[in-house]
Amino acid sequence: MTPTDESGPQAAGSGRSASATRPDAYRDPVLVAALARRIRRLAGDLGRPVKLMHICGTHEHALGRFALRDLLPDDVQLLAGPGCPVCVCDGRLIDAAVRLASEPGVMVASFGDMLAVPGTLPLAGERPGDVRMSLLDARAGGGEVRTVMSVFDAARLAAEHPERQVAFFSVGFETTVVATAALLRRHPPENLSVIEANYYTPPATRLLPSLPGFQADGLLLPGHATAVTGTGVYRELPRDGIACAVAGFEPADMLAGVAALLEQILEGRPRIDNAYGRVVSPEGNPRALAELAEVFEPATRRWRGIADIPDSGFDLRPAFKRHSARERSPHAFASVADASTEHPAGCRCAEVTLGARTPDACPLFGRRCTPDNPFGPCMVSHEGTCRAWYLYGTARGRIPVRTAEGGTGHGAL
Amino acid sequence: MARYETIRLAHGSGGRLTAELVRDLFVEAFASEPLAALTDAAVLENPGGRLALTTDAHSVTPWRFPGGDIGRLAVAGTVNDLAVMGARPHYLSAAFLLEEGFRLDDLAEVAASMKRAADEADVTIVAGDTKVVERGKGDGIYIATAGVGTVPDGRDIGPHRLEPGGVLLVNGTLGDHGIAVMAARDGLDPSGSLRSDVAPLTSLVEALLAAAPGTRFLRDLTRGGLAAVANEMVAGRPFGVRLFDDRLPLDPGVVELSEMLGIDPLLAANEGKLLAAVPPGEADAALAALRGHPLGRAAAVVGDLLVEPQGLALVETAYGSRRVLEMPIEEQLPRIC
Repeated sequence: MTPTDESGPQAAGSGRSASATRPDAYRDPVLVAALARRIRRLAGDLGRPVKLMHICGTHEHALGRFALRDLLPDDVQLLAGPGCPVCVCDGRLIDAAVRLASEPGVMVASFGDMLAVPGTLPLAGERPGDVRMSLLDARAGGGEVRTVMSVFDAARLAAEHPERQVAFFSVGFETTVVATAALLRRHPPENLSVIEANYYTPPATRLLPSLPGFQADGLLLPGHATAVTGTGVYRELPRDGIACAVAGFEPADMLAGVAALLEQILEGRPRIDNAYGRVVSPEGNPRALAELAEVFEPATRRWRGIADIPDSGFDLRPAFKRHSARERSPHAFASVADASTEHPAGCRCAEVTLGARTPDACPLFGRRCTPDNPFGPCMVSHEGTCRAWYLYGTARGRIPVRTAEGGTGHGAL
Repeated sequence: MARYETIRLAHGSGGRLTAELVRDLFVEAFASEPLAALTDAAVLENPGGRLALTTDAHSVTPWRFPGGDIGRLAVAGTVNDLAVMGARPHYLSAAFLLEEGFRLDDLAEVAASMKRAADEADVTIVAGDTKVVERGKGDGIYIATAGVGTVPDGRDIGPHRLEPGGVLLVNGTLGDHGIAVMAARDGLDPSGSLRSDVAPLTSLVEALLAAAPGTRFLRDLTRGGLAAVANEMVAGRPFGVRLFDDRLPLDPGVVELSEMLGIDPLLAANEGKLLAAVPPGEADAALAALRGHPLGRAAAVVGDLLVEPQGLALVETAYGSRRVLEMPIEEQLPRIC
């Protein structure tokens, strides 16, 4: 972003002073108000509706938690794209984890987020409708499933249970797979295996503009993932006419990113702006990238409900293949489900994940599908768009209030 | 007693070991005449007023955590349920479910902690029971307590008195207990700065009611935290709750850990915090009374009751934007990234 008198010196750009590293500095109401004014002015200059898209579940949570959409003019719509690794995880990999959990001598170690996400295998009986098996169902049926907070927890489990194969469900984007790579380089227990469910986001992000239903003029790029990859991996997007800005996760970070996108669109000069300079550098994190490349090689992955995307995932390299759950138990990975059945009947997660439909435009949302009784992955995962919209009441838009003294307000600055 | 270092099944059999345990450990620790009589029921003086009765079962892992233990929790939990109804707590009973193998010196520590909390709350532990379950069938120790208090004439505190315009206050930082216990469970607090807020609120409530006699509603913010209470207050009612994000008191250590784990401190448990709804004219006096009490130093006005929207709990940010604060839906689990 270009600093202006309104946003103050070093507003949300490259400030590296001690105080600027505190999140509070990027929640400052004066700074946020200034950025919101700037966005309104840019949108006014633009004079037409624009759609922007973020592709990060943490961005959606920040939008919900701080009700930041309230601060945007009506002409600026901020959509949620495929930013939730749990939501895009191939249902067939969930099936594999479910089968592994039920195998004697195998224990599945998974992040808590993944436990309730249904795969494609039908769950007999229990609930009416098209209900699929999750790891929770596998556990209820006697399968061995443990919740872990990191791959290191999984390695610890493997050390404690040498008699079992401990299969770590390595779901996540490039941010998460860095930890898996780091662990595998350090000679973990031989009985630790990895379900290769890690996704590499740049190829999918580059593909977005060509997908049916894509309608954004600009992309807010995810700060954490870009801190690993650097900004270079996105250089094709501006060539295709898509404005790009890397954004952090505090209110001022996100609004600075939105302002940068509007500026590009107004000028008609798409480029990649870095509105998260305190964390993200153009070249990324060379050490993390080197470790990743040592352990993993690019592979085609199915993005649930979207497409098979070349180079959008990570397979273990031959030197590490002995830790592959697929190599050890190939029969568990023999799922026959195809694209037409990967989400339950009636579930619109595929469109929600692409930003082609907002959650409240799904007939199940908030009625049959709630966090207590989720149908699709977007309502299960904490990173899921439907869940965030449900928790924060996002579909209500600006919420007007009336006080006992007769005061009113419309929830905007 | 001294013959054993740990709880055996016989300690719960009703025989000699049970009698020794009660006499040498509980009667000794609780120093209460009605209990020392060892009768089947405590026969008590009635201090006058309407009776308030409540019961609460307590389990927490680990049973000893920064800022307290299950004994203090078992007293404070029940006392606070009485206090927020405007009742003055008088008597408690305590039933212990012990797992075979639980250490007797640990049990003595729990009992001593209960006695200290009871003294702070000005209540007497007058009755008790002990059962022992086989090793592997319990989590060391569970304690169920019941409490009796009296509501002075003229006091009327409860959800029926809530109405738009009411001002909402809390007596301090939110989510401390839930986050501290989670940190202790998973070894997530290397600097050791997090503390549970577990405390009996008897004297704090009395100070509040003296300063703000028009107080309409009190609720202790236990499981589900402020989010659960805010939603319960408005469910099906013709008014809404608005909380001001930037006025909610939060401990910096709690903020740090909860952001790292992706857990909202507004949904985390407290064991020494309450929400009060007072008439607008008494808000300043209520705040001053809370801040003047050792358990209310960080008290704050955090919100108000709205005419519209009805039935919803909202959070209003420092930017004037608003979001819904949903009822907690599940055990809070750390997010993956």
